[in-house]
Amino acid sequence: MGTQLSDIPQGILQAELGAGRVSINLDAEVYPLQALYGASYIFIDRCYVFIDRPDDKVFRVTLSAKDAAPEAEALRALVGEFANELLSCAWRHQITQDNRTIIETVTMQAIAGAMGEPSLDDLASFDFSDEAFDDPLGIAQSWEDKHGKKVQKQDEPEASNEGAAS
Amino acid sequence: MLAQLKPSTSFQAFFRYRQVADKILITNFEGNFLLLTQEEFKRYAEGDVEEESELYKRLDAKNFVRKTYRVADAVARMQARKHFLHAGPNLHVMVVTLRCNETCIYCHASRANMDAVHTDMTPEIAEKSVDIALSTTNPFVTIEFQGGEPLVNFEVVKHIIEYAREKNKSLGKNLEFTMVSNLSLMTEEKLQYLLENRVQICTSIDGPEKLHNAQRKLATMDAFQKAVFWIKRINQAYEEMGLDTTLYHCEALMTTTKATLPLWKEIVDTYVNLGCKALFLRPVDPFGFADRTRLKIEYPRSAYLEFYRNAVNYMIELNRQGVEVLERFAGIFLTKILQGQDPNFLDLRSPAGAGVGQLAYSFDGKVFTCDEGRMLYAMGEDTFHLGHVDTHTYRELVGHETVRAMVLASNLDSQPDCVNCAYNPYCGTISATNHKAQGSIFGRMRENNVCAVHKGIQDFLFEKIATADQELLDIFEKWTTIRAREHFVQDSEPANAAS
Repeated sequence: MGTQLSDIPQGILQAELGAGRVSINLDAEVYPLQALYGASYIFIDRCYVFIDRPDDKVFRVTLSAKDAAPEAEALRALVGEFANELLSCAWRHQITQDNRTIIETVTMQAIAGAMGEPSLDDLASFDFSDEAFDDPLGIAQSWEDKHGKKVQKQDEPEASNEGAAS
Repeated sequence: MLAQLKPSTSFQAFFRYRQVADKILITNFEGNFLLLTQEEFKRYAEGDVEEESELYKRLDAKNFVRKTYRVADAVARMQARKHFLHAGPNLHVMVVTLRCNETCIYCHASRANMDAVHTDMTPEIAEKSVDIALSTTNPFVTIEFQGGEPLVNFEVVKHIIEYAREKNKSLGKNLEFTMVSNLSLMTEEKLQYLLENRVQICTSIDGPEKLHNAQRKLATMDAFQKAVFWIKRINQAYEEMGLDTTLYHCEALMTTTKATLPLWKEIVDTYVNLGCKALFLRPVDPFGFADRTRLKIEYPRSAYLEFYRNAVNYMIELNRQGVEVLERFAGIFLTKILQGQDPNFLDLRSPAGAGVGQLAYSFDGKVFTCDEGRMLYAMGEDTFHLGHVDTHTYRELVGHETVRAMVLASNLDSQPDCVNCAYNPYCGTISATNHKAQGSIFGRMRENNVCAVHKGIQDFLFEKIATADQELLDIFEKWTTIRAREHFVQDSEPANAAS
């Protein structure tokens, strides 16, 4: 049985107080999927989080209490916290794209400045070999190399069509 | 007024703005600032500024005009502000024991009882910790003894000092030692050793006797009396050694709890009467016992900011009367705002210092990004644990993926809110605190206690700067003065301690 939580527009939210569960419908064009993952992950120590996509235009996030069913007010606070975190993640996603160069430059300088140049001891354990690593399952191969259409070399005989599926 | 602006798209160089009292503060990428009247701001935003005008000259001098934007000036300013980026951790916090004889209601350190000898650092762990500390790329190294109460494991403190001094002979680092102690276990013999070995001593004073003894409990209920006795003794010793006592004195820190808030005047008076030249009005952190006792000791940050304003206004009045006392938060911010320098306070820089500015070594050899990370580990949260002195090299620790994540997360140019905030060039965020309070190392600044405090303090400082009161500006200028304490830099010879 659905319950209305105050202040939150109907149609966006379905709360089931008895089950300690609340589902939030999100416009898939408003929120990047990466932001949704980021915000959801932050909540996994507070509740169980399930994400699905009931249709192409909607992400649905279900937050489910881990222990006893919470009061309506606690559920509302959880939804509010989630909404704020989602907005924060969405905007950060955009900012990090806009400011990518300066963020990468500062990070590189900070880490490289702290680590310094490798010592001889560090270099002793470094793998300088040019040989490809062992990859019996072909994990490092691209999909095209592994499964794509083979380009026929000129000096190879044309494959017989015999036995091909019709 | 702002809603009616028709901004020019070509006149201004990049800037951020914020209303401060009846002025508009503008800051630019490299941290220059101007306080404009509403009318001046409108003209600036709309590009309606004659080149011959006084306003244009002010804007141009601070690099706010696009047409004359001087890239080389901006680069030089940014290099000065971000000087810390090119060197590794200079602060190495060594928790030589968790044992402590005092019980503080807000203890962040998760102290252990005095019989918990298994929480003492061994000499072997101590040596390996020093080896890592002295591997830093930073030419300046400060080893800070913490606990618990470091005087409880004084033999290992001595071992670290002697081992580090010896090892540093071939390395030539600018090496300093600092001890954070409640002083109740200090003896004349220990003090002489610390003085001879140039160890800077810092203690805690929460305010007047009644407040201090209520928050920091010794079995004998005289924590305040013992701390005061030794503060005076240390200051006397510095005087006898011929040191400049305006520069060399026992430093004291306080932690602001709910009970502190109405006592701003008494707290400042207590510090001044003890001869302390600086107060650090630190809000309580959400770590250790403070997490469990928060209902009793916590408070809204608006109440803290009122306390802060009252205390600092009083300190300003004392300065006008010739009493030298400064507030540390203010000193750090003003150094960035007025001098364009960064004093490298690790929680107030971008990116913050966790892992790249400091490392924390627990008694058992575990290494953390920062002391807060070590405190969270004691509470069952291992996010900030980087490795162990037995198994990890210096480069593995500072190059750890957690350190990289924290550098990214504490870069204000990647933070919602901060990216548009006028205080961006002067501010910082603390990933471990964000993680504890809001569940991620990024945090959400609009709902963040640390952000509220930082913004509130800077609002207060800029309101003061906006008054253009020359006497006040001179006081602020004095608060920014960074004077090196050369005496505490280690050399091969011990100091002549006063008897």
